Amino acid sequence: MTAQTLLTTTPGQVPVRRRRRFGASGDRPSWGATITLVVCSLAVFVPLYATLTMAFKTTAQSVDGRVFSLPSPLSVDGFVQAWNLTNFPRGFAISVFVTAVTVVGTVMLAAFAAYAIARNWDRRLFRWSFFYLLAAMFLPFPVLALSQVKLTGMVGLANPVGVAILHVMFQLSFSVLLFTAFIRGLPEELEESARLDGATTWMVFRHVVFPMMAPMSATVAIFAFLASWNDFMMPSLITANSTLQTLPVLQNIFQTQFSSNYNVAFASYLMAMAPAIIVYLFTQRWVMAGVTQGAIK
Amino acid sequence: MTPLLSHELSRRSFLRGTVAAGAGLALASCARPSGSAPTEIVFFQSKPEVIGYFDDLIDQFHQTQDRVRVRHDFTSNLAGSFVRETPPDIGCLNYNFEISRYVERGALSDLSDLPEAKRIRPDLQPLIDVTATYPDRTSVLPYSLMAAAVLYNRTIFAQHGVQVPTTWDEFLAVCDTLRGAGVAPIYSTFKDPWTIAQGPFDYSVGGTVDTTKFFNQLKRQGTEVGPGSPVSFEKQFLSPVEQMQQVVTYSQENAASRGYGDGNLAFAKGEAAMYLQGPWAIGEIAKTSPDLDVGAFPLPMTDDPADRKVRVNIDLALWIPEGSRKKEAAREFLQFLMRPDVIDAYNAHALGFGVTTDATPVTNPTLVELKEYYDRADFYVGASQLVPQSIPLQNYTQSLAAGDPPEPVLRTLDADWRRLAYRS
Repeated sequence: MTAQTLLTTTPGQVPVRRRRRFGASGDRPSWGATITLVVCSLAVFVPLYATLTMAFKTTAQSVDGRVFSLPSPLSVDGFVQAWNLTNFPRGFAISVFVTAVTVVGTVMLAAFAAYAIARNWDRRLFRWSFFYLLAAMFLPFPVLALSQVKLTGMVGLANPVGVAILHVMFQLSFSVLLFTAFIRGLPEELEESARLDGATTWMVFRHVVFPMMAPMSATVAIFAFLASWNDFMMPSLITANSTLQTLPVLQNIFQTQFSSNYNVAFASYLMAMAPAIIVYLFTQRWVMAGVTQGAIK
Repeated sequence: MTPLLSHELSRRSFLRGTVAAGAGLALASCARPSGSAPTEIVFFQSKPEVIGYFDDLIDQFHQTQDRVRVRHDFTSNLAGSFVRETPPDIGCLNYNFEISRYVERGALSDLSDLPEAKRIRPDLQPLIDVTATYPDRTSVLPYSLMAAAVLYNRTIFAQHGVQVPTTWDEFLAVCDTLRGAGVAPIYSTFKDPWTIAQGPFDYSVGGTVDTTKFFNQLKRQGTEVGPGSPVSFEKQFLSPVEQMQQVVTYSQENAASRGYGDGNLAFAKGEAAMYLQGPWAIGEIAKTSPDLDVGAFPLPMTDDPADRKVRVNIDLALWIPEGSRKKEAAREFLQFLMRPDVIDAYNAHALGFGVTTDATPVTNPTLVELKEYYDRADFYVGASQLVPQSIPLQNYTQSLAAGDPPEPVLRTLDADWRRLAYRS
């Protein structure tokens, strides 16, 4: 959870921080800001350190109550057990599939919808469909859970495909909101000039608008990625066949009342967290590149 | 206008295509290979500690026959699968309030015609019925039973020359002796409310009140629960709860900030003489001190040694949903699981007590001390197991352990019970 909240807030902050550093204060380091940032990063690194060391401990050492001690002897037993218990490769593949469909689906559908809405704002149908989509933000999944379970079961979507479709649906309203606001800020003159050169609506969208939306697409993609990769409730309820379950649900077997296998649990969490962190590092660069590229000279 | 129209058309055909694709998917998932292929059943079992054990059992089962294949499901959402009308074919779960909903609505099929049902110890039936029943049905077969009592460090007891107490006064004397010698008599973990509810609270109440009778009467009374009714929490529970508050005063200093994990570690290191936990803690303690000499005795609550009882709960129970389309295959697997050698081996492995009349006696060096009570049927279901989760009983017991006066807490409990009875 910590990882998620911190990751989702950072993309917006990064460019701001940069600008400030190169701006007013010049070479002098700002101690107040540095200390604040150190404390903030400790909030990430301390749990991460605990996760990392715990994952390499033996079972006996993991329950000794000393969280910050270094693992001795070093043991990969936790990883082996977690790998076998969750059938990691399969769970990982399913998680990747669901997340990939969600990210691509969300970015595409939301961009289409937002472009149509933003450029037809004067028409009632488009305006109202925007409000209709926004209204979905007020419907959390738990409210709809049982009806969704029933419906997906009836149409044969009680599987990862159904989960991915539902993830796209639930991401749609927020993503359309982000995209619409962004498109409003894009100059319409670029599109007009493309049209003068004979471009169709699709070509305008494909070659002019969509590339300009890249920074916002990255943001939407990150939100969709995190929401889908970390989701527990929807796959746990929707997927009928337990062999097609995603990682967060499989890892639920480590949450038990009566026994504590911290080393196995943390090894498994580490393996599940790794892709999220890698993707984040990768897309964070992309966001920053997108911000400078998308700017109109 | 024309390009827009063509767009709409293409959008419509796109939608049509999507629907067709969806229908195709649905049909594909319906198609199943027919013929002499083995029947695949889904076995739902999610007790994390024994997932691997049951996987091995399934392998054994596959070797004995080739008609039925079993798929082990330990991640699905049970409510979701019932809502979808594709419940697992056979379940093996903790018998608690979650499963009672399915029993009471008749979602589980009758197993009374199986010869295995006749092997279940008859004195366990009241324990099953007090949680949930459905008229004229044997909805579940118990599989494993846990008996919980006070765990004690035999070495510390011997060092200070104290015996296992058989009466309330002896118990207090043991605690005073230990405290006088500078040993913490009891290790308590108040940070985890469930440890108070299943430990001090359940032991105190179960040692004085007949919980089966009490809760059956309470259910009959419906919304009539209060100072004027024959049974109520504020009447029958008052004296045991006062005793419980006396018991917890013998806890170590920092009990309020210690959780279950800390308790296992500390008890394993010999930091206290007694630990009010069930057999599930034995394996955890062994992770730190495999050779610790641990014994167990029921908490004596009265001055009559014959009143001592152990707290039991049905840790695993087998059931076959009414909605399963492969009941025959599921029954075959159930019969395999109930084979004396299979069920006895499981209970020995999981530190459970056998639930059949032909079960081999328990051999675990800690649990043998509880055997006589179980054989005599001197047991009760913990009160905390019989209060629905929507009443925050665990939190109430936490405030009792912290020293709140019992009367207002028990009055609140009565009021909660009334509200719940009114709603249902």
